[in-house]
Order: sequence, then structure tokens, then C-alpha cells
Amino acid sequence: MSITSFYFLVFITIGVAFYYVLPKKIQWVVLLLLSLVFYYFAAVPYTIGYLAASTLIAYFSTLWMKRKREKQNQDAKVLPVTMIALLINIAIWFVVKGRDLWFPFASGFMARHDVLQIDAEINLRMIASLGMGYYTLQIMGYIIDCYWQNAVPQKNPLKLFLFVSYFPQLTTGPISRYAQLETLYERHKFEYQNISFGAQRILWGFTKKIVLAERIGIIVSALNSDMSTYTGFYSWIAILLYPLQMYADFSGCMDIVLGVSELFGIRLAENFHNPFFARTSQEFWQRWHITLGTWAKDYVLYPLLKSKRMIRFGKFTRKKFGKKAGKFLVNMAGMFILWMVMGIWHGGLRYIAGVSLWYWVILMLGDLFAPVFLKITNKLEMKTDSFAWHFFQSGRTYLIYAVGATFFSVGVTDGIYRLKDALKVLCVKNYANPWIFFDQSILNLGVTWGDINLIIFVSVIVLLVAILREKHGYARIWVQQQCFIFRWMIWISLFIIVLIWGKYGPGYDASIFIYEGF
Amino acid sequence: MTKEEVYKRLNEVFREVLDDDSIELHDETVADDVDGWDSFEHINLIVGVEEEFGFKIPMGKVVTMKNVGEMVDIILEMGK
Repeated sequence: MSITSFYFLVFITIGVAFYYVLPKKIQWVVLLLLSLVFYYFAAVPYTIGYLAASTLIAYFSTLWMKRKREKQNQDAKVLPVTMIALLINIAIWFVVKGRDLWFPFASGFMARHDVLQIDAEINLRMIASLGMGYYTLQIMGYIIDCYWQNAVPQKNPLKLFLFVSYFPQLTTGPISRYAQLETLYERHKFEYQNISFGAQRILWGFTKKIVLAERIGIIVSALNSDMSTYTGFYSWIAILLYPLQMYADFSGCMDIVLGVSELFGIRLAENFHNPFFARTSQEFWQRWHITLGTWAKDYVLYPLLKSKRMIRFGKFTRKKFGKKAGKFLVNMAGMFILWMVMGIWHGGLRYIAGVSLWYWVILMLGDLFAPVFLKITNKLEMKTDSFAWHFFQSGRTYLIYAVGATFFSVGVTDGIYRLKDALKVLCVKNYANPWIFFDQSILNLGVTWGDINLIIFVSVIVLLVAILREKHGYARIWVQQQCFIFRWMIWISLFIIVLIWGKYGPGYDASIFIYEGF
Repeated sequence: MTKEEVYKRLNEVFREVLDDDSIELHDETVADDVDGWDSFEHINLIVGVEEEFGFKIPMGKVVTMKNVGEMVDIILEMGK
């Protein structure tokens, strides 16, 4: 059962009815049961054992922490147990989900055996649980919060299990914090606004995912399937369209997830905040996959920077190379580790190259040359608060992201091939093939002119919604302020668009989200 | 230690770490209000504060403090 399927909609409708009809005291139990039912239909059922294992590790380790602190004092030594609990969680994830990271090395040792057969066997036996990358980070965050005494350990193991297995966030996150999700256990009154806002957001998510992302996906996969044929401007189309597909796909999924959760009166953390409006790459990452970024900052970067070794390293570099260069070196080291963690979390070389190394280099160069850029813009008396300048900066940021996303999409070797090919358009004489935009060539990619018009049309709506969001917090708040007829016209039109032009139904598998695999 | 004293010393720490003598902190000051106060400088500031006031700020507080006011409260609390 994918969250874009008809059955899922039936499932949540029944779920919401039970949730508000049954006594409020057991609302959290309803959520837990719904999560189990969802898991049964959406994943390989027995893999829920992984979720249970992670929950139990967190449950016992944090309660042990609490008892020890009560018995002795607040400074009682609880770090070893915390570390063990975290390491077990990492180990489970690494063995099951990080297979691409260790199998190539392990296969070297197994050279005498049939590597492919072993690979297939591992594949068969070690099926990952749904949302492992997401809930593992979430439960690790909980353990660390308890260690830091920012959270009080949950006494009821079933309640903690709900925190791990809460079904909306199993598909692609967000990675929630325990403190934010404690509302899971509270009583929720039926409120019309939660239902209407939730439903609207689900509808909007469907539009982005099954109307826009799926259509762009057809073009991008056609282009990726035969790179030696699709060269020149085709490469540019692939490079520039993929970020948009990824955004529509991932943020569309988040809209469905957050909308579903809102139906139950539970607000999940936002994962996107108009990333393509970002002026710099640094800002981009504060607006894209936000919960992963803040998780890594709070639980990896800060403890790392505040460790004795890092502080000593910082003092050493400042003394040796001066204040500015010293700080830059610490930045470089810290950023490197932060981005490696993000790359490894994505679980493969292409992500480490596409996400981590590329961004690390870009952010470091940006840092290094920031004073020079500032001088240039001052000298040329650029109006840095003008629309044109913002547009230029956002365009540049988009392009930088598109390069990284190319690796993410097709892997390192093919990514380099494609980027080189795109550059040839600019450097090699007679290499450009602009006529593909005007003759019927594009139609060989599996889309019609109608599809292309629809892509443009929905992209414009996405842009309008983004502008409204920037100005009003949420676009739907603006819609809510409009008159009755206009309001309903908007929602009914969206509904019709999804119904007519959505890619769904038998024979069509829209169930896979790009970010579902993590 | 009074609040004014804490602010006086805190301003010095911030000016020194961020190389900006114009910094003037208030209860509501947040990272966005101060040029250069990013994730990395946040930790440099915390270390600067620890050295100035002579105690360690627990990690749990480092990640949750929202503005300078909270930082001052922590310092007053720890310095008791």
C-alpha cells in the first residue's frame, strides 16, 4: 500500500473516523494499530522486528540512564551505555541498509566464492524495514536527547514504539524530534480546520507527485536510458529537469505525509521551505531536507566541534595560521565530516560523490572566496537587494544543485559523462542541437505536447504557491482568506487535474518515491 | 553576578570571537541578527563563553538555546 494509492486514502478515512469516534484516552492506541496495519500492507511484515529491536534498545538504555541518575546523581556515568545503544542502532542500519557500502569490500575477501550468488542471497535474506534510514536517526536522536537530559525517558514501551513506527513518516520522513512528537500521546479534539487543511495538503501533494513529478520522470528516465544518443541539449534538459522532478517528488510526498498527520491533529516538522529561492548553496541546504540537516547539525556537528580534540585543533590552527585561516581549517574538517555522514546515510558511492564531496568543495570554495566576491560586488556597485540579483543568485544555486543531483541520479561515471557532454554544447563548434526544441524530437521521449504543457502549467502553479508561501506562511492560509466560490474553485480544479492527468491506476506504478529507498 | 555584568562580558566575548566591535547584545538577539554567527561560530562563541566565565555549558543546552537571553539565563544559572 503506497501513500499515493486509492487503498491508502480509504485506509486513512476509516482510520480518522475511528480516531475521533473512539474515546480520546485511547487515541494513541488507534494510531499504533493503524501504524501496524499500514506496515503489514506497505512493507514486508516481519521486518517490523527491526523497528521493535530499535525501540527496545532505546527503551532499556534510556530507562537505565534515568535510574542510574536517580540513584547516584546527575553526573552519573551513563555515556558508555548511551554509546552502546547508539552503536547497535548504527550497526543494524549499516549491515542491512548500508549494504552498498560494505559489500564491494566484503566481496574482495570472498573472491573464491561466487560473489553474485552471495550478493543475491544477502539481498534475499536481508530485506530492510520500511523507513529504516529515517526512524534510525529519529530513535538515535531520542537516545541522545535523554542523555543530554533534553527529554524524559518514555516509560511505556508501546508509546515509544509508536514514536518509531508512526505510519505517515515511515515512507520518507520527516525525521522528527521526540519533544515535537510528544503530541502523539495527547488527546486531540475533532477540529474542522485540521481535516480541511490536511485534505488540501494531501491533494496538493498528489498534484506535485502524480501529475508533475511522474511526467518529468518519464522524460528524465528516457534521457538516462540512452546517454550516447541523447546528447547536447538533451543533456541540459536532463540536468536541469532532474532537480525539479526530485523537488516535486520528495516535497509532494512530504505534503501528503504532513497532510495525513494533520488529519489526526499532529503537526510534523517541515522538510522543505522553498529551496529554489535560496540565494546560496548554504541557504539551499537550510531549505531542502531540513530535518536531515538539522539532525546532523545538532547530533553530529555540534558535539564534534565541541569535542576537546576539535577545540584543541582549532586553537592550534589559529595560532599557527592566524585567526581567519585557522577558523577556515576547522570549518573544512567539520564540514567534511558532516557531509560524509549525510552521504553515508544515503548509502552509496554515488551519494557520497554527488551529495557530499561536491557540496563540500562548493561550500568551501564559497567560504574561501566570499570576501573576494564581496569586494567585486561592492566595486561594481551591484544592487544586491534587487530582484535581478536574487534571480541570478538563485539560478546559480539551482545549477550547483543540478550538478550534484546528476551524480545522485545516474552515478559518478555516467554523471561525469553527462556533465562533459553538456559542456561540449558551449565549447565544441557545431555540437549544439537546438532544433530538438522545435522539431518533433522531444516526443520520442515518451511524452506528448499535452504532457509538456501540463508540466509547464503545474510548474507555474508550484511557483505561485511558493511565492504565496514566502509571503503568507502557507499558500492555503491565503486561499482560506478568499471568498467561498474562488476557494472551492481552486480545490475542485486541483482535484480534477489530479483525477484526469494523474498517473495512477492499474498498470501504473507511481508508488515509488525517489526518497523512499533511504 | 548581575545581568548587566554578564552582558558586558558577553559583548566582549562576541566582539572578540566574531571580530566585530559594533556588536551589542540584547535578550532577543538571535543568530540571524549578528553577522557571521553561523553553526561554526556558535560553538566558538560557546567555547569563548566557557573560558570567560570558567564553567562548561552542557551539550543539551548548546543545541536548545534560542537567543542571547537564554544564553544569559544559563550563564546566571551556572555561575551561582
